[in-house]
Amino acid sequence: MKKRKAKVKSAVKSAKKAKASAPQKQDVLDAMVAAAAQALGLPVDPAWEAKVKFNLRLILRHAALVDEFVLPDDAEPAPVFRA
Amino acid sequence: MTPNRLQCSVLDTPATDFDFVPAAEIAGAVTSGRASAVRVVEAALARIRERDPVLNAFTAVTEARALARAEALDDARAAGKPLGPLAGVPFAVKNLFDVAGLPTLAGSKINRDLPPAARDATLIERLEAAGAILLGALNMGEYAYDFTGENIHDGAAHNPHDHERMTGGSSSGSGGAVGGGLVPFALGSDTNGSIRVPSSLCGTFGLKPTYGRLSRARTFPFVASLDHLGPFARTARDLALAYDAMQGFDPEDPACADRPVAPTVPLLERDADDLRIAVASGYFKCKSGEACYAIDRVASALGANRDIEIPEAERARSAAFIITATEGASLHLERLRSRAKDFDPAVRDRLLAGAIAPASLVVKAQKFRRWYREQVLALFKDVDAILAPATPCTAPLIGQQTFMLGDVELPVRANLGLYTQPISFIGLPVVAVPVPLTPLPIAVQIITAPWREDIALRIAHALEAKGVVAAMRPASL
Repeated sequence: MKKRKAKVKSAVKSAKKAKASAPQKQDVLDAMVAAAAQALGLPVDPAWEAKVKFNLRLILRHAALVDEFVLPDDAEPAPVFRA
Repeated sequence: MTPNRLQCSVLDTPATDFDFVPAAEIAGAVTSGRASAVRVVEAALARIRERDPVLNAFTAVTEARALARAEALDDARAAGKPLGPLAGVPFAVKNLFDVAGLPTLAGSKINRDLPPAARDATLIERLEAAGAILLGALNMGEYAYDFTGENIHDGAAHNPHDHERMTGGSSSGSGGAVGGGLVPFALGSDTNGSIRVPSSLCGTFGLKPTYGRLSRARTFPFVASLDHLGPFARTARDLALAYDAMQGFDPEDPACADRPVAPTVPLLERDADDLRIAVASGYFKCKSGEACYAIDRVASALGANRDIEIPEAERARSAAFIITATEGASLHLERLRSRAKDFDPAVRDRLLAGAIAPASLVVKAQKFRRWYREQVLALFKDVDAILAPATPCTAPLIGQQTFMLGDVELPVRANLGLYTQPISFIGLPVVAVPVPLTPLPIAVQIITAPWREDIALRIAHALEAKGVVAAMRPASL
């Protein structure tokens, strides 16, 4: 267990070094919201944009924490499909 | 900080009242003929008329249905037929449960346009088969994406212990109705903490069972891979009674596990002294006065003097956050396109953000979820139960935007579920037990391995017997 923990910690460290975290810059968020809203046909009213971007930034911040956690290629997602 | 206003006994209550009488005692009185189901229901309806204008827990009261059902139950008793373990016990459900004849609102404006449900949710059918009587549908946060109990369409539910304060959400009416004595028990849903948070803020017992244990058939979903249903009650026994009546496989819910029913009521009286109980440390280490006091008091009563670290709990919360936002957005995508202006803006803006988040991050969160589950399940080789705070604070004021956690200021809406999210993320069963502090209660989570609801309920019952946890009658009543 201890060994595994140490392995995970070092993997997280190297992932952080690689700066694989999600984009946070305002212009990137602007572009993401505009492109996704258009592609998905979502009506993002200009009055809502700031809050949508705030929430997207929050999701990406949480996602960065998950993204930096290195898992093996054969890691299965929690829901397993059964035929 | 000691309990001073506990449950009444049916024997010392005026026959027409049944106020704050536990479900088990009501069922006993109805079964023995000491009380009629009609009288119990009429008393509950009178309490709803009296208190709900302030609590705002109910969105629909099914009076005619309830009285008809009570009359049928009294007739059955007169004919010598068996009545079931919840005979004559009034209950209500979060308004995301299908109730025949009502549109299933799920706290929204949009769903008001749905046709009335044709049939009750499975859990309502099972409770009524056990003799319980449905009194109506309860307020909730829009589409269950909420920890506060505020709702712009139906108004905020009000905390029975202080009407200026939140009930917590999203099962806001369930917490308010049970804590305020309108019904002995109620049903809610818990995706990230929506049973445990209002239980904590309203001072009730709450059970979030193992993922897949209770059928979700004919309820409005939120996040399919995280949604659970469960009961609120004012005693551990009532929680167990309701839970046992609802167990059983249901092919109409694809996530419902095909496992044998495991009754918990017969195990309640078993001594909890032989159980190995630890306190969650690290991420769960409490930082505010009330949460610390509650944990210390419960741990001390149980002799739980060892700490245990739930690994990567903060990352688990983050993964739950991503899955919630994106699965929720996927569910509502068409409504976001066609009726975005009819959403509560606080819900809409989070769902829109969830719709935009990249899918690759969601799959990573689901992969992390499996890894985390394995780590946490391994802990249960050494312990039978883990204690953790249910909420970081007692009930905030309605409309309050932030609260202090130690010396850090955090937004209320996103953080009331700080301690509940990493647990429901992997579907573990939890009983939230209310520690009756003055002026406001706060709960502790009793977390066990999957399918061991019996252990968590047994511990809750033992704590109640010791007077450490209790659902207090609000001072104003």
